[in-house]
Amino acid sequence: MMDIDRFSRPEEYISPFDRHFRRLIRSTLEEAVMPHRRRYDEDWKDHRLIEPAFDRLMAGLGLQKGLFPLKYGGMGMGGSDYFFRLGYMVCEELGRADTGFAVALAVTYWPLLVISVEPYVNERLIAQFAPMFCDTDKAVFAANAMTEPQGGSDIENLNLLGGKTIRTTARLEGDQWVINGHKLWPTNSGGVAKLFGVPCTTKPGSNDPEDFAFIYVPADLPGVTQGGPYEKAGMAADKNGDIWFEDVRVPSWYRAHGPGKDAEAFYQLISFGQVMSCAFLTGALMNLYEKLSEFVSTRTYHNRPLKENDAVAGIIGRIAGDIDICRILGYEAAMIGDRRNKPYGRPLISEDVVGRVRNIKDFVSDKAIDCFGKAMDVLGLHGADRDWDIEKHWRDIKMVQLWMGGKQLCQMEAARYFFNCETL
Amino acid sequence: MGRNIDHLFIHPGMPADEESASVARLVRQWADREIVTRRMEYREGYHQLFAEKRRKLCIDIGLQKLTIPAELGGFGWNSPSRAPALLSLACETGRADASTGVLMASAWALFLLLAGRSDFPEEPCRSLAGLYSGEEVRTPAFVLTGPGTVGVETPLFLGRSIPALVRGAKTGFTLSGTGIRPLIAGGMADLFCVVCADGNGTPRVALVPADAEGVMRGSSVLMTGLNACGNAPIDLFAAPIPGANLLDREGAVEELYTWLNLLLGGVSAGAGVNFFEILADWSDSRVIKGGGTLKENPLCASVLADVAGEVALARLLLGELAGIVAARGEGAPGDVRRTYTYAGMIGQRVQEGVMRAMNRGLELMGSAGYAREWHVEKHWRDVKTIQSILCGVGAEAPVKMDTARFFYDCREI
Repeated sequence: MMDIDRFSRPEEYISPFDRHFRRLIRSTLEEAVMPHRRRYDEDWKDHRLIEPAFDRLMAGLGLQKGLFPLKYGGMGMGGSDYFFRLGYMVCEELGRADTGFAVALAVTYWPLLVISVEPYVNERLIAQFAPMFCDTDKAVFAANAMTEPQGGSDIENLNLLGGKTIRTTARLEGDQWVINGHKLWPTNSGGVAKLFGVPCTTKPGSNDPEDFAFIYVPADLPGVTQGGPYEKAGMAADKNGDIWFEDVRVPSWYRAHGPGKDAEAFYQLISFGQVMSCAFLTGALMNLYEKLSEFVSTRTYHNRPLKENDAVAGIIGRIAGDIDICRILGYEAAMIGDRRNKPYGRPLISEDVVGRVRNIKDFVSDKAIDCFGKAMDVLGLHGADRDWDIEKHWRDIKMVQLWMGGKQLCQMEAARYFFNCETL
Repeated sequence: MGRNIDHLFIHPGMPADEESASVARLVRQWADREIVTRRMEYREGYHQLFAEKRRKLCIDIGLQKLTIPAELGGFGWNSPSRAPALLSLACETGRADASTGVLMASAWALFLLLAGRSDFPEEPCRSLAGLYSGEEVRTPAFVLTGPGTVGVETPLFLGRSIPALVRGAKTGFTLSGTGIRPLIAGGMADLFCVVCADGNGTPRVALVPADAEGVMRGSSVLMTGLNACGNAPIDLFAAPIPGANLLDREGAVEELYTWLNLLLGGVSAGAGVNFFEILADWSDSRVIKGGGTLKENPLCASVLADVAGEVALARLLLGELAGIVAARGEGAPGDVRRTYTYAGMIGQRVQEGVMRAMNRGLELMGSAGYAREWHVEKHWRDVKTIQSILCGVGAEAPVKMDTARFFYDCREI
């Protein structure tokens, strides 16, 4: 009998912790999130329903401390050979329940990854921020404040633009950075995050990586203002808004690594973000399979179960086949990440890794959009019903395709890598 | 929004008569003044403004009685020859708001079905015309065919389950069925137009007022889009209907599907046009790679071309379908089946095309396309909802079977 765990993945890649950890996360999500998710759309602003579930997952299960070393009360994932694969498993399970929850967690890891994954580790900053995430029973979020009003996806296009369009400035005054700028759309903004990772420029207009700075800014500092959350088509669990930094002062050692290294360490986020995006999508697709399977087994066309009609079977067979292939690709992307420090691997910031994982994410996104759209049509009269959950995923996963520079940047990165394009 | 969309999106099948053109201009003015230029206001107070704007269209402009025969107090656009003009109005309305468009199209389709032939039955046309030409906004809801439930044999319409049964009674008929799902508006309808099966399993269409005895509405259903068309399932417990409320002419169900494919296709294409307008403005003002505008980047331009191309093709196909419907007139049963088949093929292709346009366009707008502020996400949700409900069940499979039946004379599929 088919179940979602039988969708293919390269078993030899899987972490020994996978099965038990997955079971724990899944059962928690099935209690804390899935029974309530149909009411999340109306909760987008206040998070009255969403917040308690986050407390259970982030603090209760301890997901928010995943990257921190054991000695600080964390889970030590940042130093694990299985970091990407464990992250994939967690995000896949979260994506099955609600991709908004998945992105809130993954983006909490994002700025922390810049300082906690070899070869870019900043022990002092890890020790500084660990208590914020590890010594609490409430959900704590971080955010990566990248996008700027004028720049769109330019910041994700760091290889080409080298940060020359960044307008958020960092000026060193004595032993403090003074930060000024306006960011928008980060996941976990809208009043949620306690800590921001802020890409800035120390020399506006420069495309020299030496002038790119990644600086940590606690959200409660004077001069940090967060706007309310945007109202969106879906993903209610992920709040997004504007953030203004006006003469915000942080200690000089809140800069991640220093000139040159900041740009490299920051660029790792692209690969991590793309791989985890695949995990959100394959998780959602696995839930699509569950829901679709129920519908086509209990509803009829020609007075026979839908799945027993050859024409319908052709459609749903393709959907399940695409889910299977996407999951294989997603785990391959995770493995590319986990090979980063191996002799046969490539660094996360290499064109090789960026090109490959962007390509996989683009492919999986397209397939997910096709599968969900088609599944809604299979449900027909019921396809748009919130009661079947598929339409929620359909709205949510579109966002996964759009973010981080979206489809077109994925296509460009793939072209740059596979064809050695020099001017794109 | 300064583009001349009539120049950009040609419509060779559009009616040239002054009456049709002037009504289309009126609806364009309504759309622009009341909704398109006031998107933010409309977004923030959607449900209240929706009712107000819909009333203006239905009652003040009078479009609710557009397809009511002239002799019954309507505008007399009840002939199939009006299909091209009705299509253009569906597009104009959909450009503003798909919910309003779908509800308007439903009211038109009701009278096109009832009074689309010169020998239309006096009842129920007269009594319904009295209601629909009054000062109240009226809402019919269609119950078509869809999925059945495993273990429950139902009569079929070309493979799709017929959700209700009609039986003779001492006076008139009774209508029965449970868990019946209208396309939209089940929670707000004053009349249900139900595809049902008679004792021989033959598909018929019955009209039952929402306040009739034995009609029970279920809890409201939250849907992806068309959020102003509050839907709810209904149960029919031997609901009595007068004899005249059962349309027993052959081909009535096919005609209903034909009109809905045409008019709801028009609503989606209209939403696609407004999506194009918003995206075009966006691509004029946003830059890429720190310099040039989006539209001057070849990759982005190819996405923009996909959007414009899909919307343009959808309108061309619908124009052709309107021509086919208009030319058919009151044709023989074979003509009805042919038109039905073409309507299914074109309707499916149009919904797919507009959805593809919107999915592509959202890629370019990125997060902004996903924010409610820009309004494109509403068009995207609305059209997806129309696409899915028109499928009924099984995605494109039933329409493909209809097509294969027509072109290859298949008998068992």
